Amino acid sequence: MLGILATTIVHPAGHGVQDLWAAASSSRTALVPNALAWCDLPCWVGEVPGVADAVLPAPLRAWDCRNHRLAWLALQDPPFRAAVARAVGRHGAHRVGLVLGTSTSGIASTEVAYKARQESGEWPADFDYRKMHAVESVCRFSAQVLGLQGPMTTISTACSSSAKVFLTAQRWIDAGLVDAVIVGGVDSLCLSTLHGFDSLQLLSGEACRPFDANRNGISIGEAGGFMLLGSEPAAVMFAGGGESSDAWHMSTPHPEGEGAQAAMRAALAASSSLEPREVGYVNAHGTATPANDSSEAAALRAVFGPRGVPVSSTKGITGHTLGAAGIVEAIFTALSLERQALPPNVGCASPDAALGVAVVTSLQPTALRHAMTNSFGFGGSNCSLVFSVAQ
Amino acid sequence: MTRLAFDLHAAGVLAPGLMSLADLCAVSSGQRAHEPQPVQVPSPAMLPAQERRRASSAVRLVLACIEQALRGWPLPPEMLHSVFATDEGTGEVCQQMLAALATTRQVSPLLFSNSVLNAPSGYFSIAWRNRKPSTVVSLGLDAFASGLLCAVADARASGAPTLLVCYDPPMQAPLVELLPVHEGIATAWIISAAALDAPVPVLASFELQVEAGSGSASGSGASGLPAWMPQAWEACASARGLAALGLLGQGADAQARLPSGGCTVALRRTSPRPL
Repeated sequence: MLGILATTIVHPAGHGVQDLWAAASSSRTALVPNALAWCDLPCWVGEVPGVADAVLPAPLRAWDCRNHRLAWLALQDPPFRAAVARAVGRHGAHRVGLVLGTSTSGIASTEVAYKARQESGEWPADFDYRKMHAVESVCRFSAQVLGLQGPMTTISTACSSSAKVFLTAQRWIDAGLVDAVIVGGVDSLCLSTLHGFDSLQLLSGEACRPFDANRNGISIGEAGGFMLLGSEPAAVMFAGGGESSDAWHMSTPHPEGEGAQAAMRAALAASSSLEPREVGYVNAHGTATPANDSSEAAALRAVFGPRGVPVSSTKGITGHTLGAAGIVEAIFTALSLERQALPPNVGCASPDAALGVAVVTSLQPTALRHAMTNSFGFGGSNCSLVFSVAQ
Repeated sequence: MTRLAFDLHAAGVLAPGLMSLADLCAVSSGQRAHEPQPVQVPSPAMLPAQERRRASSAVRLVLACIEQALRGWPLPPEMLHSVFATDEGTGEVCQQMLAALATTRQVSPLLFSNSVLNAPSGYFSIAWRNRKPSTVVSLGLDAFASGLLCAVADARASGAPTLLVCYDPPMQAPLVELLPVHEGIATAWIISAAALDAPVPVLASFELQVEAGSGSASGSGASGLPAWMPQAWEACASARGLAALGLLGQGADAQARLPSGGCTVALRRTSPRPL
């Protein structure tokens, strides 16, 4: 059980948690038809406002890439920085850990540099793979921005990356390695994922429609989000998490969501052995592909039984932010507890009755004590997290 | 400072001239000179035929190293939690993706599925029907230390035996100009940090401690790696894992200091814990 001491995020609906909740409250999607100058796929995307024009300060300029611009924008939040400074002051910079998730890191920079290398025979002079693309770079960059000197690592397990960061944080604190941990995730729009999901015929030609009877694929978004976690109590707590592997297929989920079930059950067990009926909301992975939503719905039915649980996927608002999806949806879940309201499943006009899921279709005020969020990724990597209001 | 104790039960080694833990111990203890030979990675027979055809060279390297470690592990592989640690672990797949995106932008679905950093973890779970938690971490050249920290913390929290694999698949031109990894290297450790249900042989016991400040890696060479290692291995995160495994060929209390981000992971051999 860890307290959420501070939160910051940039996302397609704006900067900060207020913009995120405002989009949910008004059932507004931040997805738009793709107008990226460097990609002509006929899909919809969720682009973070201001990322193209963001400028890193001179001492950090060598790290400049789309992914680090997202991290930089998110880390400009004054209350978050003040909370981190307090934690560093209290525990020491070497006792504050950093665990971040990303799927493709700064690969967009390498896509451009690689093309230049092919055409000219030389890598661009200002291209630094280690700082701009390497999987570690989001951690190294963020540690430099925040002045951290403790244990750090980047987790990269596709779309579960920045959900799994919470479990690593818990283990590090429980082991006495650190006193506080900054967790988070950053993933940015790039050709690799846009064309990659297109090759799998999983990109929707419209804004994605999770759990809708006519859902036809994902919309890709980008985001950068961070939370400061510590042992002290806070209004919303990370109660526990569960993980599993599918052992099934690299890119297709188990039809009955066996791995998802195992992750959800493990998360409940880790959260003071909660009963499913005690969970008042599930922020689903809900990518809006026919197979993914069907698999997750089967898992939800198996875990929560005929009584069910209110469910929404917030990917209709932000798009699927891939390696950042875990932190984005952890933040949505924490906000639902803080605001005592369930965010709607934007884009779901006709809930698919065959799924047997109670989809939240408009902002729903409710008394909520415990809420869960699911993140599942390629390779059969599953992670579920439970958050709770303080006792 | 917190000290975390753990036992090493089994290990796999794949590197040029080192095809087993016995090879590594012989070379690291000075019993024989290191003679680099190309790594021959066997076909991943443990995978179903369809998945075997799809496996990238990175996946083949990792699975072969895990299989070697499992030969020394008497309990079911299905029970292992796992941590995969790598610097840039997709190898040729990333290269092929970038080449496609720079030209036709026609990416093959298989290539994209294999491009995730956790592809070897996914194939591992399929190969051995392992449904336990698996984490994939990176911290550049400090990836081994970071992975070890995560594996020991996981083994301690879960009580489950945990597999740690650190690997560097070979890179191809032109990416190899940026990441000079010319030949694959991998090491696999099976560890525990709590009493197991059944008695399992212990190769060595260790204590791990995180210290403030980034020291140099252990060993006698200026690079921080042992003198017997080829200089080219400085570019491989997993070489530091091999250096740490080399503690087995040294006496009790042998130590390695592994930089890990802003701090140092100090690894020390200890007397075996009572079972």
